[in-house]
This record gives sequence, C-alpha cells and structure tokens, in this order.
Amino acid sequence: MTAPARPPTDLPADVPRRNGELVFEAPWEGRAFGLAAAYVDASGAGWGAFRDRLIAAVADLPDGTSYYEAWVTALERLLAEVGLAPPGAG
Amino acid sequence: MTTTGEAHDADEAHDAGDTRGHHAAPPSTIERRVAAIESLLVEKGLITSDTVDAVVAAYEHDIGPRNGARVVARAWLDDDYRRRLLADGTAAIGELGYGGAEGEHLVVVENTPEVHNLVVCTLCSCYPWPVLGLPPRWYKSFAYRARAVREPRSVMAELGTTVPDDVAVRVWDSSAEVRYMVLPLRPPGTEGMGQDELAGLVTRDHMIGVVR
Repeated sequence: MTAPARPPTDLPADVPRRNGELVFEAPWEGRAFGLAAAYVDASGAGWGAFRDRLIAAVADLPDGTSYYEAWVTALERLLAEVGLAPPGAG
Repeated sequence: MTTTGEAHDADEAHDAGDTRGHHAAPPSTIERRVAAIESLLVEKGLITSDTVDAVVAAYEHDIGPRNGARVVARAWLDDDYRRRLLADGTAAIGELGYGGAEGEHLVVVENTPEVHNLVVCTLCSCYPWPVLGLPPRWYKSFAYRARAVREPRSVMAELGTTVPDDVAVRVWDSSAEVRYMVLPLRPPGTEGMGQDELAGLVTRDHMIGVVR
C-alpha cells in the first residue's frame, strides 16, 4: 500500500465512502437487488440456488448488459421453477 | 492511490457507453419486470415492500467498504487479531460485528513485500458484501472478469498500479463458496495513527487488490 497522498483526516472513518460511485445506478437496480435478497431470506433456501441462476444469467446475457438485469433474469427463472412466474416474465 | 479513481472512471466511461446505451432503450421494460416480481412476491405474502426498502437502504448507507477498512485497521494495530483474521476470516470479522449474506466463508489474504493479492469473480460477481458492500461496476464487467486471471499485471497497470517485477501477483477467484478480501500492507509513516485514522486510509480498491 502506498503512502497516503493527502492527509487522511479530511474524511471521517465513519463516512460510508464508495469511491465516488453510486451503489445502484438506477432505482430499479436497488429494487432488483432488494427483492432477490428479501426472497432468498424469506424462502430459507440460502443463496446457492439464486447464485447458480445468476451465474447462468450472466453467461446468457450479452456483454454490456446491466449486472442487475442478470439479477432480474435469475430471480424470474428461480421463481418460475417454483411455480411463481410473474406475468410477462421471459 | 489517488489516480486509480480516475483510471476506473476512464475505464468505466467506456463501459458506461455500452451499458447506458444498452438500457437507455428498454428501461421501462426492466422496470416493469422488477415491479411485476415485487407485486407477485408481496401478493403471495412472501415478502413486504418494507423489507425490500430496508435491504436497499442498508446497502446504500450502512454496509460498505468502511466495514472492511475497520477490519484492516484493527489487523494493522493488533497482531493477535491479524493472526486470527488470516486463520479464520469469518470468525475474526464477526468479532467486529460484521457478517451475514455472502459473508459466510470469508478468507483474508495478506499482501507482503513479496506478494500482492488480487480478487476477482470470473463466473458472476461474488463479493464479500459484509465487509465491502456491493461490488463496483468495473468489478462486474466482462473485461475485468475475463482479464484479471489471465493478465493481472496489465489490468492493474491500466487501473494505475504497477506491481514491481520482484513482487509475485496471486489472483483469487471468488467463484466458489469463498469470498476473498485483501489485507493490504500498512503504509509507511503511519506509526502513530489510531484505528479510525488508519481505517480512513483504506479504500475498497485496496481490499480488492487493484491498488497496492
């Protein structure tokens, strides 16, 4: 790790710093993330099943697709497999 | 370490063109898909919208790289803690109150004068949420996932960090159940600093390893 280029005290350690980036770039991205997290938690099945579908969705969708679109696709597929297909999912 | 943000931005400006171009056209479609999932899950009584709000707010405001920075600062100050952290990352990080989703199997890898560590997830974008929050856009990019394993030194150089030839680079692929986090080297000239001050030096990029 290189020496700090400026005095470190200009930022309190408690400020949640994200290197200037937004966590979510659009509200739907946060919603997609929150829905998956809430569903995984509620289903009690753990993240493994969702992660497998996320890996598949990331591989299926073209490069440059929003990462959270892969989340939406993965969640739709997971729900469809348990008989919970939202209208218009595809 | 100050130039990397710009380097990422330059890299992202390229990606952003793709990404925004890609979902500038169908945003209403994706928003409708997300809304349809929410309606369905709420209707079935599986979740409430309040739960989703709380999860989103937590990751936007509370769970982020500051958590990991505190872990690093503690390890720099407390050698016993450092040893526990390297031996069992999940347990030692749990001592500071961090854990939960995607933090079940945290492994901390230590940079030394001889070794530099870099973390990637080649298959999706696995990431140690409890200590770093959600991953930045470039970490999720195909370019980073594809190239970090193959040519880590070039990737790091493009992001503004040159690793000397006599320092070995180890790449850790988080694609299994394990989530990796890098324990960076304590910078020189920080001997008198306390935990909060030290934590203020540590960035997300140090803990991913794209910055040394």
